Amino acid sequence: MFRVGVDIGGTFTDCVIQTPEGKTIIVKSPSTPGNFAEGFMNVLKVAADRFGLGFADFLGKVSVIVHGTTVSTNALVTRRTARTGLMATRGHPDVLTLREAPRKKAWDWRLDYPDPFVPRNLTMEVGGRIDSLGNEIEPLSEQDVRAAARRFRQAGVEAIAVSLLWAFVNPSHEVRVAAIIEEEWPGVPVSLGHQVNPIPREYRRTIATAIDASLRPVVNAYVDALTGALASAGFGGKLLIANCTGGMMPPDEIIASPIQSVMSGPTMAPVAARYAAPDRDVVVADMGGTTFDVAAIRSGQILVTPEAMIYDHDMLGLPKVDVRSVGAGGGSIAWVDDGGLLHVGPQSAGARPGPACYGLGGDMATVTDANVVLGIIDPDFFLGGAIRLDRALAEQAVDRIAGQLRISRLEAAYAIHATSNHNMIGAIEDITVNEGLNPRDSLIVTGGGATGCHIAGMAQALGLPMFMVPRLSSGLSAFGGLVSDIRWQATASAYSDSSNFAFDRVNQALLDLTKRCTAFLDRSEISQETRTMEVAFMGRYQFQSWEIEVPFRLPESGAISTANLSSLTKAFHDVHRRVYGIANENDRVEFVSWKMTAVGRTDRQPAAAPPLAGSAMVEPAAKGSRSVCFEAGAKARSIPVYNGGSLPVGAGIHGPAVIEEETTTLLLLPGMTARVDIEGNYWVECA
Amino acid sequence: MHDEEETLAGFDPLLLAVLSNRMQSIVREMSNIVKKSSRSTAITNARDFSCGLLTFDHRLVCVEEAMPVHVTAMDLATRPVTDLFGDVAEGDAFFSNSPYHGGTHHADMTLCVPVYLDGVPMFWTVARSHHADTGAHVPTTMDAYMRTVYEEGMHIPVVRFQSQYRDRDDVIRWCRQNIRESHIWYGDYQAQVGAARTAETRLKELGARYGRDSIRAFVEAWMEYGKRRARAAIAALPAGTFTWTCRHDPVPGVADEGIPITAKVTIQPDAGKIVVDLRDNPDCVDGGINLSEACATGAGRIGVFYNLDPSLPHNDGSASCIEVLLRDGCIVGRPSYPVGTSNATMGINDRLINAVQCAFAQLGSPYGLAEGGTEFGANMGVISGIDDRTGASSSYINMLFLGLSTGPAVHGHDGWLTYEAPNGGGVLALDQVEIDEMTYPILVEERKISTNAMGMGQWNGAPAMQGVYRPLTQPMTVAYCSDGDVNPPAGVIGGGQGTPAINAKRLADGSEIQLPAFHMETLNAGERIVFRTVSGGGYGDPRDRDAARVARDVDRGWIDANVAYEVYGVAVIQPEGGVDCVVDGDATARLRAASTLGVR
Repeated sequence: MFRVGVDIGGTFTDCVIQTPEGKTIIVKSPSTPGNFAEGFMNVLKVAADRFGLGFADFLGKVSVIVHGTTVSTNALVTRRTARTGLMATRGHPDVLTLREAPRKKAWDWRLDYPDPFVPRNLTMEVGGRIDSLGNEIEPLSEQDVRAAARRFRQAGVEAIAVSLLWAFVNPSHEVRVAAIIEEEWPGVPVSLGHQVNPIPREYRRTIATAIDASLRPVVNAYVDALTGALASAGFGGKLLIANCTGGMMPPDEIIASPIQSVMSGPTMAPVAARYAAPDRDVVVADMGGTTFDVAAIRSGQILVTPEAMIYDHDMLGLPKVDVRSVGAGGGSIAWVDDGGLLHVGPQSAGARPGPACYGLGGDMATVTDANVVLGIIDPDFFLGGAIRLDRALAEQAVDRIAGQLRISRLEAAYAIHATSNHNMIGAIEDITVNEGLNPRDSLIVTGGGATGCHIAGMAQALGLPMFMVPRLSSGLSAFGGLVSDIRWQATASAYSDSSNFAFDRVNQALLDLTKRCTAFLDRSEISQETRTMEVAFMGRYQFQSWEIEVPFRLPESGAISTANLSSLTKAFHDVHRRVYGIANENDRVEFVSWKMTAVGRTDRQPAAAPPLAGSAMVEPAAKGSRSVCFEAGAKARSIPVYNGGSLPVGAGIHGPAVIEEETTTLLLLPGMTARVDIEGNYWVECA
Repeated sequence: MHDEEETLAGFDPLLLAVLSNRMQSIVREMSNIVKKSSRSTAITNARDFSCGLLTFDHRLVCVEEAMPVHVTAMDLATRPVTDLFGDVAEGDAFFSNSPYHGGTHHADMTLCVPVYLDGVPMFWTVARSHHADTGAHVPTTMDAYMRTVYEEGMHIPVVRFQSQYRDRDDVIRWCRQNIRESHIWYGDYQAQVGAARTAETRLKELGARYGRDSIRAFVEAWMEYGKRRARAAIAALPAGTFTWTCRHDPVPGVADEGIPITAKVTIQPDAGKIVVDLRDNPDCVDGGINLSEACATGAGRIGVFYNLDPSLPHNDGSASCIEVLLRDGCIVGRPSYPVGTSNATMGINDRLINAVQCAFAQLGSPYGLAEGGTEFGANMGVISGIDDRTGASSSYINMLFLGLSTGPAVHGHDGWLTYEAPNGGGVLALDQVEIDEMTYPILVEERKISTNAMGMGQWNGAPAMQGVYRPLTQPMTVAYCSDGDVNPPAGVIGGGQGTPAINAKRLADGSEIQLPAFHMETLNAGERIVFRTVSGGGYGDPRDRDAARVARDVDRGWIDANVAYEVYGVAVIQPEGGVDCVVDGDATARLRAASTLGVR
């Protein structure tokens, strides 16, 4: 049987197919915004053609399709989500406007305050109050709830979010609100805060709840359309949809919790990287046309952030695989300010007009133009020759920057290239140093088509010993789907602290989490042999406000006892020291909430082992040479160019050199050696 | 012109772009450490801290992403270290909270770490945090009635707290003896150490990679760059001298009539220079509201920077284009020891920044800003009491950030809602109600945006916030120094004034009494604090406001239809069953035509 991963990106829909023999190939087809399901089916047809099979025949041979969808992200970005009404606790109607105070630049007053995700006149206050310990201070005003439901219905609302203070500690009011809404307006989609995002901080819980509600109609319709189209085309296997925490979920679970699908495509890239380089610290660097996305893996754990942004001023609210994005892609525009400082991006020439060398009317120098001028990119072999670039136009554009900086063309091109590298390095450092990872001890794995031109320079500036360029680099997310597990997370708030640990309360919460996870695994028909559960707590020192996630092993008994409490606090001190550089072993540790993840492991063959450093290498012949400038000082040197597709396993190539693949170009600097593994991946040792 | 060409050719554009980028990354990393690992809620939740890098000879290198009041004159904080110590060495860390040694006010404790590249001192890494307590006789750090340093609690006048990368146990013990909840103080101090030391490591890595000479060359080029950017921005302004006066509210017993604060700003576009003359202001008063030199200098620079391109670097180069003239013994100058300055970061400071930023509005539209909301009402009260929720009872003291004063309008934009005050640049965070209720035994019954409470104009100041909170079962003390109950922020160029603060107590029977503005109040169970923050002034005539914007303000409840009609001359209609109102174009045209005939 075939296994298939499909990732819908902004420009292309990528499809990686694993054949019954275990080989993987990648095919692409243009994305179809407006009707993403169409592009999804198209790329499967391309795959069927590739194997010379009829469409129904091919689909009949596919056991599983894993899908990273952009439909929810796209709906949010284009603001085409459902018209959503919010019910909030009386006295607190402005949670979504005030936020935690949105970040701004300290010196800038010439900007507008951002609008809330749900407008104020679609927000209704309801009476009733729970306190921080879960006590009812004031009963729910059922009258308020009924009035709000009626007003929403009259105002053309399509989905309702309910987010009340402290509902994650005592959900009784929210549960009752849901029942009343169902009486007043049967069938309207409703999201409840304590179910969507059971954490303290009312803004984060409420924004997640509002986003979840607003996505219900669109995600429901998309998943229905997709499963319908697949079924009528002859697909009888299993469809799984990627979620934002680096796993996949059955379609029904995504429909029940649509926020989980937001920005889920890019979360598959670190899953692929973790597969390629298990159990170690990894940075996943993905440079595309407009952005550079970076994610990180600590000791085999993909980093998750509670502070993912969905707009400039709004969070997703829900924890999500931490993918930091900066405006540094091949299309990023170079410009010089009135003080003579060179900037690259964040503005992008996009796909149209694109870089100047595309010849589509763009005249601003971009990173791609600089790479053409430097000789790193061959204008006749961009995307394997699919697009022909115009060197003269690139030179004209770069000359304008050179004139403003009063330096030569080559110096300007190199300055653009290197500045872009440093913008990306800033993003890598943001995610690594802030999370206590040392980039120097990490392996960088590349994704995306443009990274290969820059990774060597970045590795050198960061002082990295090694990086890896996967053969499927340009379809890394789609490939990630094939090697990801089914993952489903449940959270319980059972507050306690190390000096007076509430064993009963915490163990009851853990038991409840185990039940919920088991129920998920049962209804998803996950076999007993492939099941595991991962457990973590969110902890902090007394009087700290920000929790850190601390994974731990649940004892066989399933319960925490006096005997193993100290291992929990020790785990906390260790993570705190790792992240912030300090730990206070004598201080009280507070356990704020508990997380359990139900995992259904995917059966997969182990990744290719990295070639041994110092092992014998085949040194293949170059296909030619060209003049490339890869260092400051305006000197270009003639260096060999290799055809990546023809390199044998065990091949070794010494820098300086260029390796040209169909969808990417890899620049090696002096002192670097690239070795080709059994899968065709490049492992590059830096001197 | 010839000069400029020489300068441009004199540095490596690549090095400038790369290293300036790196410096910003380092400050970001410092800030993250302080924010996430500190203990005081003012620091971890509200972001009341700042980090910066300076050269060893006390020039600002990078202070972006920080609170303007903390960093704009941070050069004054490192200077005393080299003045006072002849033996600064690698591994030292100096701690200070002295407003007479370059500090802002004594609650802002500042850690300075010298950074050596190959044995040569090159930089200071500085972490400044607002601590919750300084061991004064009353449980607050800011008080208009602390008349001298002797009433303010601990003063640490630049003391070596670490040598050879280790805490000096004796000075730590001294602080822990004197400060309330000193484990919190020590946690906050450690976070500062973590940040400053991490930045030290990063700078050393940078030095190893690029070499000390390149780093030195970069610093000079970076200062030149800042100067060029500032000069270009100043050259684009009209020439002239402009004056604006604000009035700080009366402080009974300290300044019964209030205090006028005047800024005289002279713009010299040809010289690329702006002079802020603050000498024509009253002498220090017998209270805690005098400015420190750091605050006065900083306020002068801040008010100017708010009027320049926000993307220019706020380093020594750009700051050198702003000359701030101070006078000894002046309330906005160099204070005469030992007068009190505990309130120096707000109050008079905010009025002074407002005066400077508004002086630019005398140039007419589109220049200048309206006055921004002033602060420190009960919305930001320092609360203290006993927490008995878990059975055992423990004491607590910390500052709330439940509401923030709101921002002034500028040409083209309404004010920023979560503004806080002129000194903060809008970078403070607002407390989450649930975090406050989890941490302290309080219940926040209300926290929301007020209706009809803003400076109305063609561009509005942002609306005020209001709220109600109470202790759960035990008495609670709330301390605050509210400037803005009497004199709300002025509007400019025809814009309306903002609205004043409200600080009141609601008794158990539901009746309300107004509380004094500079005050400490104890609440019993069943009693509530009722607050409204100060809102910023408007810019331009409200009758010129885009009618669609007025309708949107009605939709979001920031004004009602009556105010739309009376103040803005906009008639709106609420469609049957709909939630969005629409502008009645004909009625609005009639209203607005009438207003131009002088009816209004």
